[in-house]
Amino acid sequence: QAQQRISINIASSHPTANIWVWAMKNVFQPEVDRLLRERGNKYAINWREAYGGTLYKFTDTRAAVSDGIADIGMVGTVWEGAAMPLQNVTYFAPFATEDHELLVEVFDKLTAELPELQKSWDSQNMVYLSSLITDSYDIYANFPVSKLEDLQNRRINAPGTSANWLQGTGATPVDGALTTYYTNIQTGVTQGALSFASGIQPTRVYEVAPNLTRVGIGAMYFGGVAANKAFFAKLPKDVQDVIREAGRTTSKRHGQYVSERATAALAEMKAAGLKVAELPEAEKARWVKSLPNIVGPWIQANGEPARKVLKAYFAELRSRGVKPLRSWDEGL
Amino acid sequence: MELGLGLALIGALIVLVILGVHIATALFGVAFVGVWLIREDPSLALRLLSVSAYNSIADYLFATIPLFVLMGLLVSISNVGRDTFEVAEALLRRIRGGLGVATVAANAVFAAVTGVSIASAAVFTKVAVPEMTRHGYRRAFAAGTVAGSSILGMLIPPSLLMIIYGVLAEQSIGKMFIAGVIPGILIAVCFVLMIVALATFAPSYVYDAERRRLRGHHVAPAMPVPEILAKLLPILCLVALILGGLYTGFFTPTEAGGMGAFGALIIALARRSLGGGRMWRVLKETGTVSVGILILLIAAAFYSRMLSMAGVPTAIGDLVQSTGLGAYGFLMVYVAILLFLGMILDSSSILLIMTPIAVPIAQALGFDLIHFGIITVIAVEVGLLTPPFGLSVFTVKATLGDPNTSVEAIFAGAMPYILVMVAALVLIAAFPVLSLALI
Amino acid sequence: MASQTENTEIDFSPPAPEGAMQRITGVMASIGTILIFATMVMIVADVLGRNFLNSPITGVAEIAGRLVVAIVFLQIASAIASDRMTRADFLIRIIGDRAPAFAAFLEKLFALCGAVVFALIAYASWPDLVSSWTTNDFFGVQGIFTIPTWPFRAIVVVGAVAAAIAYLLSIAGVGRPPAQTPAQTLD
Ligand code: NA
Ligand code: NA
Repeated sequence: QAQQRISINIASSHPTANIWVWAMKNVFQPEVDRLLRERGNKYAINWREAYGGTLYKFTDTRAAVSDGIADIGMVGTVWEGAAMPLQNVTYFAPFATEDHELLVEVFDKLTAELPELQKSWDSQNMVYLSSLITDSYDIYANFPVSKLEDLQNRRINAPGTSANWLQGTGATPVDGALTTYYTNIQTGVTQGALSFASGIQPTRVYEVAPNLTRVGIGAMYFGGVAANKAFFAKLPKDVQDVIREAGRTTSKRHGQYVSERATAALAEMKAAGLKVAELPEAEKARWVKSLPNIVGPWIQANGEPARKVLKAYFAELRSRGVKPLRSWDEGL
Repeated sequence: MELGLGLALIGALIVLVILGVHIATALFGVAFVGVWLIREDPSLALRLLSVSAYNSIADYLFATIPLFVLMGLLVSISNVGRDTFEVAEALLRRIRGGLGVATVAANAVFAAVTGVSIASAAVFTKVAVPEMTRHGYRRAFAAGTVAGSSILGMLIPPSLLMIIYGVLAEQSIGKMFIAGVIPGILIAVCFVLMIVALATFAPSYVYDAERRRLRGHHVAPAMPVPEILAKLLPILCLVALILGGLYTGFFTPTEAGGMGAFGALIIALARRSLGGGRMWRVLKETGTVSVGILILLIAAAFYSRMLSMAGVPTAIGDLVQSTGLGAYGFLMVYVAILLFLGMILDSSSILLIMTPIAVPIAQALGFDLIHFGIITVIAVEVGLLTPPFGLSVFTVKATLGDPNTSVEAIFAGAMPYILVMVAALVLIAAFPVLSLALI
Repeated sequence: MASQTENTEIDFSPPAPEGAMQRITGVMASIGTILIFATMVMIVADVLGRNFLNSPITGVAEIAGRLVVAIVFLQIASAIASDRMTRADFLIRIIGDRAPAFAAFLEKLFALCGAVVFALIAYASWPDLVSSWTTNDFFGVQGIFTIPTWPFRAIVVVGAVAAAIAYLLSIAGVGRPPAQTPAQTLD
């Protein structure tokens, strides 16, 4: 029986060294190949890779997969607050969990079971394959933080939704991206950044911001790897199954990889002189309490589905023994 | 097979550009047909076209381009560029090819306030070309000198290209800026030596014998020191504002364009240069010049995405990796590819295509990525001067608005500057200390 | 020794006859022009606000990014109408010296290509305009700042249509011979 060759255009806005792309290239692709070989070797994939933003930028991750510019791609729902707002629930409910591997598990489950989340992907012509997350957000700064007052009148890089997390601390959120923090802090434009270890280490921000204060703002759900729906529908059933299964494996390995990277990153940064301190529990509690109701506007804008997603998210966390520092779902 | 198609599409672009199709039209058209052929689906080409049109330049970085142009034009209309040039001219009046040297020197100073080379090209086309022509220089040489020395605008910080490289390679933009200082000065000095050498040993390349005889040997009068200082004060203020602002953390490299334009506006107001509707005309001209560049960036982004679909970057990456030449062999292949791409693409597209491919390899081979970035930026900047797609040359041509000085004449005039840059590139590659000493 | 003042003056496109289309492109270009100035003011205000008042302007980066696209599409028709699109014209000038009629034909053909390309951009962008309108698409962050995207989408479509029309008008009104340059020496 002749082997059928199938071309798949796989792409991302970030390079393969990036935590969100690494597993696409190093787990997903080989896993699909392996499963196809094992299951009768009837099909073989001709991968056409466009990693690293050569095909589309981070602003277009949804459009690229949704329009079929890529057959399979990394979709950062974090940049799609308008088209896929429900996926951003974690950014509006900080201080929930620092365990990103658990977050992967939760969102694999929620996306498979909650019609609201499922619909976001489906109505965007996408088939969800695996989850993407960040490790927990902390403060990297050129000054130590031992109490909330230390943040008063400081300028901190906190782009997008994360600007919300500084409300009530007296710090001024300044826009930016991982790639601008180093220069921003070095030149004094800002004095620190809200970020996560696996992201901060490659950009060497710790050289200019040698104080890491573990705040535990939490791990965040970032997006997913998805396939274009029309492309996926045309695939033979066997291949569809293999791709879905490889997607689930990719989710898990992505979570583990982020753990490896975050651990290694912390060790490396400490060796390079990073001073690590925990924010005292009492101060952390004050921070959490001082936050205004940041999930309110999000619920208001997105209505019942948002309410449902938030409740389901917190229910999943609690069923796994997590005690979120603030019950954002209270009174809903 | 797709790669063959990719090469055919590059060929098609070159042919259309040479025929005289508007370059944006050629890029859009070839890319559209290319995507259609590669993916056998015209609707996909439409989708990618829409995404590219709407988002490819929707970035703070690109928003600074009109502002750098605005700063350039404000500096031009308030005669700050001319004053800088005149001071250089007076100081260099006894040197052979002195006006050419003055153009380079004025560009080097101006480079400290502008982040895009085309702004320098626009300003000094207005200032230097007429003056050089009046003094018996060949128009093509004068225009070529302006185009050639305009590359200093992106080599001496602040620099848009360094910002883009820093973002793509995850390197500190501040370090990139500092690393560019010595190479920028080195190249400026090499330009000066080259001009003096040409004026001495090949005067017919530099001067128009006929006009020079008619005019007689003219030497500019000496300029008294107070006048020099008065003329230099505004540009020095602008340099101080931008460099000071950058290094004290008052604003970011990306914001330098906005702050610089604002500083130039204040200077222009102080010099009362903006009366009689001139402010409005400066702004309109800023729009016209900027849109000419930005539409090319959009078209080039669409085109480079088509090349990505055709697998060209992957093929180039494989080619680079398969050479197995070791560090300097790799560097040679890499620079050759950059120079080739520089003929057909704009600088930021080249960086977008090549940086993600090359940086991991360079890192594995043990290059310092700041050093590698400076090499990359210089090689990419050569592309501003090489035909058929040379943005600095096009800018000089567009700003000159003189039908008697053709695009190819300016390309020819810029040729010596290309050779000098390549020579300097070899030096800077061979001696990393030239870029890394100040970091 | 100052060079003639006209040399440091800025060039302006020759005043075109004022048709309805010219007036529309003129207004569009003017809006684009104002937006450039607005971008500068916004950046300066952000820098000053951040440094002196601890109150940066939220969303400057995103807004500036969107504005630059708007600026391009507001001004593109005007740039086409005033013949400021970048190109290499050496071959067409050589052709123009030998066979002016053929060169004129090529010019019209190229302008037609330009019209087709910008018509395609408008056509490709239309569905996105519609969906940004119907889905209330925005950029920014809920609770911090949100700005609808449809005006920016609309500018792309309108600008591309105007650009296509500007190319078509340049075909109709290509009065100037393409080979206006006599075949003289370059200097
Ligand atoms: Na510069
Ligand atoms: Na070139």
